[in-house]
Amino acid sequence: MTTDPQQQQMIREAMKAIAERRPGRSKLVYDKTKRTIVAVTEGSQTPRALNITAEDADMFAVATLSSRWLSDQWGTIIRDRLLRIRFSSWDEGDALTQCDLGAQPASSIVEGVVLLGEGTAPPAGTNLRVVLRSGKRPVSEGSTFVAPDGSIHHAVTLRRIGGSEESLDTDFVDLQPELAIRRATLLETQVLKNKAVVLVGVGTGGAHAAIELAKCGVGRFDLIDPDRLTVGNVVRHPGGVSQVGRFKVQVVRDLIHEKNPDAQVTIHPVAVSAENLEDIRPLIAAAHVVICGTDGRPSKLLVNRLCIEENVIAVYGGAFRRAFGGQVLRVRPRTSPCHECFVAAMPEESTDVEISSQAAADAVAYSDRPVAIEPGLSLDVLPIANMITKLALMELLADTTSTLGILKADYAAPWYLWLNRPEPGTAYADWPPMSESSDEMTINRWYGVDFARDSDCPACGDFIASIAASYGLDPKTFGDLPSLPSKE
Amino acid sequence: MWSYDQQQRLYLENEVLHQEGFTQFTVYRYQATDTYEASGTTSSSSGKFYMLAIPIPSGFPQQRPPMYLTYPFPLYTASGSLVSSLGTSHDMHTLTPSSAGQVQICHWRDDRWRSAIMLHKVFLKGLLWIEAYEQHLATGRPLAEFVSTMKERI
Repeated sequence: MTTDPQQQQMIREAMKAIAERRPGRSKLVYDKTKRTIVAVTEGSQTPRALNITAEDADMFAVATLSSRWLSDQWGTIIRDRLLRIRFSSWDEGDALTQCDLGAQPASSIVEGVVLLGEGTAPPAGTNLRVVLRSGKRPVSEGSTFVAPDGSIHHAVTLRRIGGSEESLDTDFVDLQPELAIRRATLLETQVLKNKAVVLVGVGTGGAHAAIELAKCGVGRFDLIDPDRLTVGNVVRHPGGVSQVGRFKVQVVRDLIHEKNPDAQVTIHPVAVSAENLEDIRPLIAAAHVVICGTDGRPSKLLVNRLCIEENVIAVYGGAFRRAFGGQVLRVRPRTSPCHECFVAAMPEESTDVEISSQAAADAVAYSDRPVAIEPGLSLDVLPIANMITKLALMELLADTTSTLGILKADYAAPWYLWLNRPEPGTAYADWPPMSESSDEMTINRWYGVDFARDSDCPACGDFIASIAASYGLDPKTFGDLPSLPSKE
Repeated sequence: MWSYDQQQRLYLENEVLHQEGFTQFTVYRYQATDTYEASGTTSSSSGKFYMLAIPIPSGFPQQRPPMYLTYPFPLYTASGSLVSSLGTSHDMHTLTPSSAGQVQICHWRDDRWRSAIMLHKVFLKGLLWIEAYEQHLATGRPLAEFVSTMKERI
């Protein structure tokens, strides 16, 4: 595409004349000698000619606005003939996107108005106006708006820069149908929009899972995380440097809305603890799936307890130290092994966690023997987050005839192992190179591992009855309240 | 505040403590505050008395219960400084002291705790800590030299 401002102006004028079917000072003609289309401008001593490329057709700035918003405001504009509108101005004004479309506006905002008909005068000082001209049939699909009363309007967006006014392409969008149609052939979007997911922990993995679920059309989210986004998080977390200082739940809420504007997102900037367990319980009870991506075991055990008590499926995921690999555990309460069963069956795997924060470092070491904070690369965490998302989706769609149903047998195991590299000093150090092995365990492959549920598990089994029996005790004699002596 | 399962568990803990021979320790319920504590007075192999207390947290058994040495108070190191002043210490196997300054003995860290660990095992670690503490007093060497770092299973 040409970058010569004079050439750009010629092309702009010529294409505008063509679009509006009127003669202009510049026009496009076919140059038989050069065997290409050239632009020529009347009055120029030397007609300028240039090659027109496909990219040149996209050189007009574009204003994008919501047809749903305009429909909702139609009563107002009929009454006042004028509506105020705000646009994010991107790329030095090359793209103007209505702020109401998304949760994250640009740093540069342009105020404008929508005018009903040419006869309405814009307020003084207005530099941007979207004029709705009534028509009988759509002139251009993108710039045509069909009002709730059935009337058809063609929008022309005009921007005043200095002493001149230029027109912009106008594009009406209807978000939800346009988003849904892209998913509908792959996933049961009507089902997913009514599904609720609780995410405990929206660090790198949790945030990625939340955004992926939003892309798939999941409609309800509860986000629980006490942390704020730091500069150090940015190399891994979907939130960027402009979000530093915000609670991660707020950052992720906005990112969800950028992908699924109609999603209901409730945020809870708290840590799950014994003290607020009863506040968290109703959130979990109302969820279809809980995703737990916290670093620490204490919160996982508490979430595990709540999910079992409320009979809600949970997916636990996490990276090993420096994300040399990771694991995902799916718990179907009292059907598959729970997180307590897991820590009892695989103590080493359950304690090999990524040290991605000071809190995580403190949890695994005495503070006078500091443990280095060594988070893994985002690209090493994302395979784990993708697996979490896939397992969650399968559970959300389990009672439908989803295309994902063919994967049920593939994802039958409760626990999944992934390795990014054969980390020295681990049980995986001697794994053969991926390029040399087709039947041995190697990096960059998921392995589903089956293990038995602990029937005596303290969370999902009969722990009390089992221990009591081994000591010759009968829990039935315990009574409703333990008859323990008081202590003053 | 306390669920039926928690009350059953605490009753069981008390029974197991006594059946395992830890008769010096009992699970008590504070009527006024509806809180629980496992505590008791024990003696070391040298015959000195110590008191251990485990206030039961509301998230028990998923939440790790802290174990405090409440007598002798205050507790001194071999060099004469307060053990509690060390805070979290690898050399002394201690965690953050209580608000009253009582030494918190490290038994399981939060990231190693699981609900199946019963209180008699916690008290057992307390007894081992006391023996190691007396060796520390006798030799001046770090307490950690006398106890191996805990394993996931015991």
